Amino acid sequence: MTTDWISIPLVALPLVSSIAILAFVAYASPAARDRMGPSVRMATLIFSLMMLVLTTAMFFGSNYIEGTKDWASLSFGSFNYDFRYVWIESLGIHWSVGMDALSFPMVWLTTFLLPVTIVATWNEKNAAVYFPLVLMMGGALIGVFVALDLFMFYVFWELTLIPMFFLILKWGGVDRKYASQKFFIYTFAASVIMLLGLVTVYFLQPENLSYAGAWTGRTFDIPTLADHARSANAGGEWFLGESLQKILFVMLMIGFLVKLPSVPFHTWLPDAHVQAPTGGSMLLAGVMLKMGAYGMFRLPLAFFPHAAEHFQFWLMALGMVSLVWGAVVCLGQTNLKKMVAYSSVSHMGVILIGIATMQPLGWAAALFMMFAHGIISPMLFAVCGAFKHHYHSMEIGSMRGMAKHSPWLATSMMFAWMASLGLPLLAGFVAELMMFLALWHFLSSEGWSVLWMVGPALVLALTAAYYLWSMQRTIFEGGDETQPPESLKGQPVPDIDDAEKVAMLILAAFTILFGIMPWIALDMMNGWTMAFFETLVIPILGGA
Amino acid sequence: MKQIEPFAEGFVLALAPEFVLLIGLFTLMIVPNTGDAKFRIPLTQIRVPWLFGGKRRNLDSDPRLPGLLATVFFSISFGLTAVSFVNGMEKAQIVTPSGTTMLQIDEFSRMFELIFFGALALASAASVNRLPATSRADRSLNGLYNNRRQVDFYILLITTGLGMAVVALAQDLFMLFIGLELASFSTYVLVSFLKESKAGTEAGMKYFIVGSVASGVGLYGLSLLYLWSGSLQFTDLSAAFAQNGMEPLPLIALGMLLVGFGFKVSAAPFHFAAPDAYAGAIAPVAGVLATASKAMGVLGLLRILLTIASPEATDGSAVWLVGLGVLSAITMTWGNLAALGSTNPKRMLAYSSVAHAGYMLAAITAIGALNWEEGHVDMSNDAALVVVTALIFHLAVLVCFKLGAFLVLSLLESEKGGHTLESIGGLAKRDPFIAVAMFIFMMSLAGVPPLSGFVSKLLVIMGIVKAALLDVTVNSDLVFGDIHWVWFLALLMLINSAISVFYYLRVGLVMYFHDPEEGREGPLPKGTPVRFAIIACLITTVYFGVGAGQLIALCESAANALIGAW
Repeated sequence: MTTDWISIPLVALPLVSSIAILAFVAYASPAARDRMGPSVRMATLIFSLMMLVLTTAMFFGSNYIEGTKDWASLSFGSFNYDFRYVWIESLGIHWSVGMDALSFPMVWLTTFLLPVTIVATWNEKNAAVYFPLVLMMGGALIGVFVALDLFMFYVFWELTLIPMFFLILKWGGVDRKYASQKFFIYTFAASVIMLLGLVTVYFLQPENLSYAGAWTGRTFDIPTLADHARSANAGGEWFLGESLQKILFVMLMIGFLVKLPSVPFHTWLPDAHVQAPTGGSMLLAGVMLKMGAYGMFRLPLAFFPHAAEHFQFWLMALGMVSLVWGAVVCLGQTNLKKMVAYSSVSHMGVILIGIATMQPLGWAAALFMMFAHGIISPMLFAVCGAFKHHYHSMEIGSMRGMAKHSPWLATSMMFAWMASLGLPLLAGFVAELMMFLALWHFLSSEGWSVLWMVGPALVLALTAAYYLWSMQRTIFEGGDETQPPESLKGQPVPDIDDAEKVAMLILAAFTILFGIMPWIALDMMNGWTMAFFETLVIPILGGA
Repeated sequence: MKQIEPFAEGFVLALAPEFVLLIGLFTLMIVPNTGDAKFRIPLTQIRVPWLFGGKRRNLDSDPRLPGLLATVFFSISFGLTAVSFVNGMEKAQIVTPSGTTMLQIDEFSRMFELIFFGALALASAASVNRLPATSRADRSLNGLYNNRRQVDFYILLITTGLGMAVVALAQDLFMLFIGLELASFSTYVLVSFLKESKAGTEAGMKYFIVGSVASGVGLYGLSLLYLWSGSLQFTDLSAAFAQNGMEPLPLIALGMLLVGFGFKVSAAPFHFAAPDAYAGAIAPVAGVLATASKAMGVLGLLRILLTIASPEATDGSAVWLVGLGVLSAITMTWGNLAALGSTNPKRMLAYSSVAHAGYMLAAITAIGALNWEEGHVDMSNDAALVVVTALIFHLAVLVCFKLGAFLVLSLLESEKGGHTLESIGGLAKRDPFIAVAMFIFMMSLAGVPPLSGFVSKLLVIMGIVKAALLDVTVNSDLVFGDIHWVWFLALLMLINSAISVFYYLRVGLVMYFHDPEEGREGPLPKGTPVRFAIIACLITTVYFGVGAGQLIALCESAANALIGAW
């Protein structure tokens, strides 16, 4: 039985179904649209669950299906469920998809977060439009992760902007107009620079590699290009020459660093997060930010390892600054969601540091951080969303003694905060611990100053400080004298509703699962990193 | 290639699309004059229906009839042109008995005719409900002012189409200028067609004055060229240019011709009349100016810069390289910055059209950058092929989304809106489908994948980058400085398209975020033809993005026909 077609429904099902639903809804009258809401919501939930079943089956089934391999033992440059179809022949553009251990965890994460997001925002207004947009977002994200063709990658990369733009614009907070525009323009401007880099690489490759266009003689195929870059980089040579490789590396990295985001480019993120609706934030923080890190692994690091080594200091510095700056800014926040958003910047710094170590362990840490943060941060934003939804306020000091009157929300918040600050036995801890070990190993083996450890150590304390402080101010303080939020105007204080409880429980369960048994995901990540280093880094840069 | 003398065997068949338009022109002239008049045969009582004069019937006095007729004729021409691509194009030349080649029918000219006829068909369909019509109570011939006025409008559209077709087919600079002037004069009148509105009259006046000065300068350049070479045939001029093209006379003439065509593509600094003209004209006409008329200008530039002043003939890179490069950089930046500040959506689209002209000039510059002397002419041709294909593709898909955006504005204009950004406020509530269509057109203009605007921008960038990298040999000694400077035009183009997202997104924000203006809360005016045209634009915008392969192949065959002649 061949299963290579399976990735088509994986991308097409959410996109096609959501566009069909939206087209259908667009013609309905406002009243009819309201009536359609619940059934649309149920339909999107069913679609997203179908996808989750599919990816979970892929996880367990890859050992048994003919033509696919165990995720952890895939060699570098080979893919499971790969499929190719000629799209634009003259330019060498293919619908080329496939997954390896780099993309599969992200794909699974996306399909896992879709139903959770739908459940967590079960009562969102204007449901008939909102839920299809969430589903479309998921489809575009999966498209980014499974694409093995530069053109297709870029198409889906930009396509993710459109549903997110509308999610922020239609369901966002007061300043949603500003935030959605800023989000769109920032990431669009960065990715056009990336596009020029990609086109330049496209024309600098030699003619007639595999899958080349009939007319241009060049290929957009990522594995082919990576393979060519590997041979061109071997033996101390620089693929495309030293100065050009550096410039192209920077051009590609700009696109990815803005998406990640790393510190000088991060200012769109807090705005987008604070204004975005809960569902938008969950997907934005959970998966969309990881597109940046994913792209780095897939393109610049694979094509330009020399340049990556050359810019190692700057990557490390950017990572450190993101890590520390994000945490410091968190301390001063009174807006719950803004604090969580800056904590995301801080955690993305961890990923960047992991990449900058250029060590297998550091990369595995970065990969696992992408995954763990993808489960924890949606929970953070779900908590913020529930807070906003029920108390109509985001201010940290607006209420006291939440533990008394809303035990469910208080517990969820406490759990999410603990997971994010890296409590042992939870998923975030594993990633942070790995990053520490990798950084320590890197500093000692490469002879860098030990002072680099000051940042992460400081951030450990800072993170604990801002989380515990905000918890103390909202959950516990006040003793018996609970102070309900003023914005409720004396109405009884509600706890979170059942749908939100379900979403919190699922997210918490998986945080614990990957905290106790990280190897479920870590094995394949380690396998991928080792394969990457054995084929690309060690032969080219030497050492490990 | 088959050579046909005028009115010899096969002449009409070879020019079938143009003759259909000619028939359309006469039909439109006849229609408003028909009635139920009868002619009595002298000395008898027999009355024969004579059809001219008398009272008019319901059908032929319908104010929508001329528009529908024009749409049908344009569609037939479009269809015939498209059919000629099936099973390979039968190339032909129209030659005078003395041996002068007047017109040439090949993939290149036919492809441009597809663009012209497509744009004009959509515009004429969209104008059906746009021109004001009074009641039809008065059935006498003299009273039917409105129907006649509409006939005038569509006659002008058809002459525009004919002029453009001649420009596309011309193999002789004189023919080309006749076509250009026929099309230009028709558009001058079309711009100021709504004489009741001050803006329209003023716009038409400005457009006419600037346009005729530009044409005059161009014509003077043409006469200088004739003085220099004694012929206006493209082949003769090209051969003469290859021999002694560096003399001052042809270079001055070339510069003057560039002024004439620079105005047509609204390149800076000849673009000043464009925003006024676009804002004053009714939206479908503005759409024609932004798509078909601009395509005509680019066609002229390609003919002059690539066929006559063929870069192949010069040492190293083309003579016009630096000048055109600077022009394109100024044009795209100026257009985008000016569009940022305009609150009238039609002005905004006009400036965005200036920016697009800059992108296209950048692509033409890239062809000039190819080093033609270093013995890889095949490769140069190959890179030039990419650029010309990209240009044609860009012009073709502009018809989909730029015209589409103008057609949406045309819907708003029929309720006296469309001149301010506020008047499109709340469009999402009033008519979700039209708002979605407008948003998709805007995204396509900005170049967001997977829409056709993205593919066209990508193709242009690929063409420029390919040209810039042609002399680069890939090895580890490669340094960044080896890359030709036109690469920076691609960078500038991308930075510009990032800037442009601001004003394209603003349209989306206003549509989805602002409340409708007072008095505009109800649904949009109806208008089946214009909605039909918008749907056609929408489908093609998406289709040529997702399934660009076929259109690229078509444009490639067209580009081959131009470049293969070198």
